[in-house]
Amino acid sequence: MTTATSASIPVEYDDTPVKWMLYPAVLFMVIGMLFGVYIAFNTFVFPDYFSGEYVHFGRVRPVHVGNVTLSWLLSADIGLFYYFVPRLCGVPLWNPSLAKWGAGLWWFCNILGNFSYPWGTNFGWEYAELPVWVSVFPIKVLFGIAWGMVVLNLFMTIARRRYEKMYVSLWYTMGTLIWTTFTVIVGFFVINWVPGGISRVNVSWFYVHNLVGLIYTPMGLAQAYYFLPKLANTPIYSHRLSMIGFWALAFVYAWIGAHHMIHGPISQWLQTTSIVFSLWLFIPVWTVVHNLFATLQPAWQAYTQSAPIRFLMMGNIFYLLTCVQGPLMALRNVNEITSKTDWVIGHSHISLYATFTFFAIAGIYQALPVITKKPLWSKTLADWHFSLNFLGSIPFLLALWIGGFLQGMQWATWADGSTYEVFHNNLTILPFVQTIADMRFWWILRGIGGLIILFGNILFVVNIYNTIVLQPREEEKVAA
Amino acid sequence: MSHPHKIELSALLTVLGVILLFSTAVTVVLVSPSFVDPSWREPSSSYQVQIYEVSDPNFYIGKAMTGSSDLEFVNHIKKGYTLLAFHETPTLRILAPQELQKYVTEEKEPKLKLTSRLLLLRPPGKEIQEEADKKQKELQAAWEKEHPKWKEEQKSPPYFEIFELYEAQGDEAFAPAATDGIVENWVDGGTFELLDPALFPHQKGGGAIYINNPREYRVEHYTFGSTEGWRYSPKGTPIKNLEELKQHALGFRSRQELIALGEHIYAIEGCWYCHTDQTRTLVQDVVLNGSANYPAPPSAANEYIYQQITFPGTRRIGPDLSRTAIKRPYRDWHKGHFWAPKTASEGSIMPSFRHFFDNDPRGQGRATMGIPNYRFEAIYQYLMTKGTRITPPTQAWWLGKDPVNTKAIIEGRGNLIDTSRGNNETKGKSP
Repeated sequence: MTTATSASIPVEYDDTPVKWMLYPAVLFMVIGMLFGVYIAFNTFVFPDYFSGEYVHFGRVRPVHVGNVTLSWLLSADIGLFYYFVPRLCGVPLWNPSLAKWGAGLWWFCNILGNFSYPWGTNFGWEYAELPVWVSVFPIKVLFGIAWGMVVLNLFMTIARRRYEKMYVSLWYTMGTLIWTTFTVIVGFFVINWVPGGISRVNVSWFYVHNLVGLIYTPMGLAQAYYFLPKLANTPIYSHRLSMIGFWALAFVYAWIGAHHMIHGPISQWLQTTSIVFSLWLFIPVWTVVHNLFATLQPAWQAYTQSAPIRFLMMGNIFYLLTCVQGPLMALRNVNEITSKTDWVIGHSHISLYATFTFFAIAGIYQALPVITKKPLWSKTLADWHFSLNFLGSIPFLLALWIGGFLQGMQWATWADGSTYEVFHNNLTILPFVQTIADMRFWWILRGIGGLIILFGNILFVVNIYNTIVLQPREEEKVAA
Repeated sequence: MSHPHKIELSALLTVLGVILLFSTAVTVVLVSPSFVDPSWREPSSSYQVQIYEVSDPNFYIGKAMTGSSDLEFVNHIKKGYTLLAFHETPTLRILAPQELQKYVTEEKEPKLKLTSRLLLLRPPGKEIQEEADKKQKELQAAWEKEHPKWKEEQKSPPYFEIFELYEAQGDEAFAPAATDGIVENWVDGGTFELLDPALFPHQKGGGAIYINNPREYRVEHYTFGSTEGWRYSPKGTPIKNLEELKQHALGFRSRQELIALGEHIYAIEGCWYCHTDQTRTLVQDVVLNGSANYPAPPSAANEYIYQQITFPGTRRIGPDLSRTAIKRPYRDWHKGHFWAPKTASEGSIMPSFRHFFDNDPRGQGRATMGIPNYRFEAIYQYLMTKGTRITPPTQAWWLGKDPVNTKAIIEGRGNLIDTSRGNNETKGKSP
C-alpha cells in the first residue's frame, strides 16, 4: 500500500500558512457572532435602541454575514485545506511563501471589506456584498487574486503528490477549487455584464446557491471525510459511496439557484427545473450522512469521549436536517409558507453554522495539536464548547423555524376565502405589522440562543489561545 | 509512487467531468433564459420605455429657494425630441401666430395635438397686448352671458389666463413642471395626433408622454436679510443651459440621477434585507399589495429591466415594496416615516433614517428650512418607480385595468396566466 511506504519517509510539513489562516479565522468567528447577537437584539428585541446611520440593521447585518461567512468559515476552510491536502498528498505545500503572501492579501481585503459596510460600501447583491472599492483598494479584485493564489498552491501540491490514489477529500477539494473560482467570478464580476433586471437576479441566485452548495458543502465534506477517520481512528466506511455523493453534488447544484425565486417573477420552466434538481439533492446528502454514521459505527463510544467527534456527528445530523429542508422548501406548496419568513434565515444558519461551522471546529480541534505540537489546553472547556453550541443552537434554530412557519401561516390566512373582498377583509383583520409583532417571542428566543452560542465560542477562542500561549511543546515536555 | 507533475487519466477526467457538468448547467439556467423568455429583455409597455428613457433623464428636481420645504420641478425640453401639447382649458387660452395656430388644441377638440418643435408659452408681449385684452373681455362677456344671474349669486367673472405661443430660439429650453411627474402625462389610443412625426423617434405604437403647456423657467437673484440665492420668477432671466441648472446655486438633479442614487442608497442602507421587491403569484401577495378594491398584479420580469441592481429579497421583516408607489404615493408620508417609522406606522420595527434629512421635517428643528436632503429625495424617487411603470396610466391596474386579470384568477374565475411572459399592454382587459 502506498500509505505504508510513504509513512516510512518522513515529510516536514510547514504549517505556518495553516496558522495564518486558522487563528484569525477563529477570532473573526467570535467577532462575527458578536455582530449577529447585536443585530438580533438591536433590531428585533429592542428595535433601533442604538439608532443612526452607522449602527442600524441594514448597515450592520452584512458585517455579521461577511465576518462569519468569509472571515471565519471560508478562511478556516482554506486553513484546513493547507493542513490536510499536503498530508493526503504526502508532500509539503507547494509554495508556503505564496500561501503566506496570499493569507496577508486575504486578511487585508476581508478585514477592510467586511468592516466597511457601515460606511456605505455594500455591493447590493446577496452574499456578494464585498465592495468593489474601499478607498483606493479594489477589494473584489484583490479577493479574487488571493483566492487564485490558494487555488494555484493547492493544485500544484496535488499535482506533485506522492500517493497515487486520491482520497475523497482531495476530490472534494479539487471540485471546490474549480467551482469556487467560477462562482466567484460570476457573482463578483459577470453579474455586471449581463442585462439588468431578472437576468442579474438569476445570476445572483446561481452565485448564492453555489456559494453554499459548491463551496461550503464540498469544503465541509472534505473536512468531515478527512477528520472523522482521523479523530475516531477508524477507516472510512465506503469510498465508493463518497464518490457517488461527489458526482451527484457536481451534477445537481449548479441547476438550483432559481428555487430562491419560486412564485416570483422568473420563468415558470426555470422554477420547475430548479425544483426538480433540488429534489435530487437527497442523493448526495444521503450518501454523506450514511457514510459518516457507518464510519463511526465501530467506535461509537468515541462520541462520548471526544468533543470534536461530537461536533462532527452533530454537524452531520444538522446536515441531514438542512438537506431535507432544502428540497422540501423548494416545493411550491411548502415554499408558499416558508419563503420570505425566518424559516429561510434558520435554513441558512443550520447549513453554514450548525453544519459547516461544526465541521470546521472539529477539524481545528484535530489540527491544532498537530500544527502547534502542543496538546489542547483543556478538554473540559472543549466539552463545554460543544455543549453550549449545541444547546444554544436548539432555541436559536427552533425559534427561526417555528416563528417563520407561524408567520408564513399567518400570511396564508389572507388567502382564505373565494372573493377579493374576503381576502382584503382578512388583511384588514390581520394587518402585516401584526404578524411582525407576533414574532416577538420567537425573536427573543433566537437572541438568547445566539447569546449562548457566542459564549460557547468565546470559550473556544480562550482554549485555542491558551493552547498556543500556555502549553509547552510536546518535545519540550519529553525533554523535561 | 507516481512521478511528480504527471497528470494521470483519472484526474484529468475528473476535472473535465466537473467542468462539463457545470457548463451544461450554466448554459441552460444562466445563458438560455433571456433568449427563451423575451420578457427578460423586452419592456412591458412603451410607457415604461418612454418614462425611463425620455422622461427621467430630462425631468429635473431641485429645492425651491423660497424657504419652505417645497421642491421645484423643471422639464428639459429638446427640439425635435420632447413632445409638447398646447391645450386650452376653460380658464386658459392661447394666442398663436398664424403659422403656429395648428399646434393649439382647443378645449373641446377630441384629439390632442403634439409636436416636437420647440414652442413655448409666455404672457402676451407688447405687440399683442391689445389683442389679449380684447380676448379677455370677450371671454368674460361670454361667461357673463352663460351665468346671467352671476350678480345675484355673488359671483364674479373669472380672470382668464391668456398666453402667447411662440417659437423659442436655440435647441433647448427649460419649463417648470406642474406636477412631480411620478405618473407622466400620457395619451394613447386614438386620442392624439402627432404633428411632424419624423422628429420624434420614441413613440412607437401605444402612446406618448408629453409636456403640457410649457412655459419658460426663469430665475432671479434675491436677498432676504442675510440669506441670498436664486428663485423662480416669471420675470427673471431664463436658464441658459443644463450646466447652469445643475450647478451649485440651483442644484437641480435629473430624476434619472436621483433614481440611480436611490437604488444605490437602497443597496448600501440594506433596505433589501427586510423588504422584498416582488409581488409573487400568491393570493397573499396580491392582497397585501392591493387596494381595498383591486389586487396588485404579480411582478413580471420586465418590470426590472431598467435597474442596475434588483432586490427581489429573501425576507419580509417589513412589507413588500414592489407596489409602494401606488400604496404610499405621498412625499410627506415618506418624510414622516423615514424620520420616525415607529411613530408613522405603529408596530413597525424599522430603524429611523434621520440621516436622510438635513433638518427635522416636522419643522421643530432650529433651522428654518425643514428640507429633507438629496438622499431622501433619491430614495423617494426610487420607491416611486415601484408599481407605477408597468402599464401606461390609462391601463393602470389601480384603476382596475389589470394587465393579467389578477382578480379573476385569484377568485378562481380565470386561467392562470404565466405572468413572467407577454406584453402587458396587449392583455389590458379587466374582469
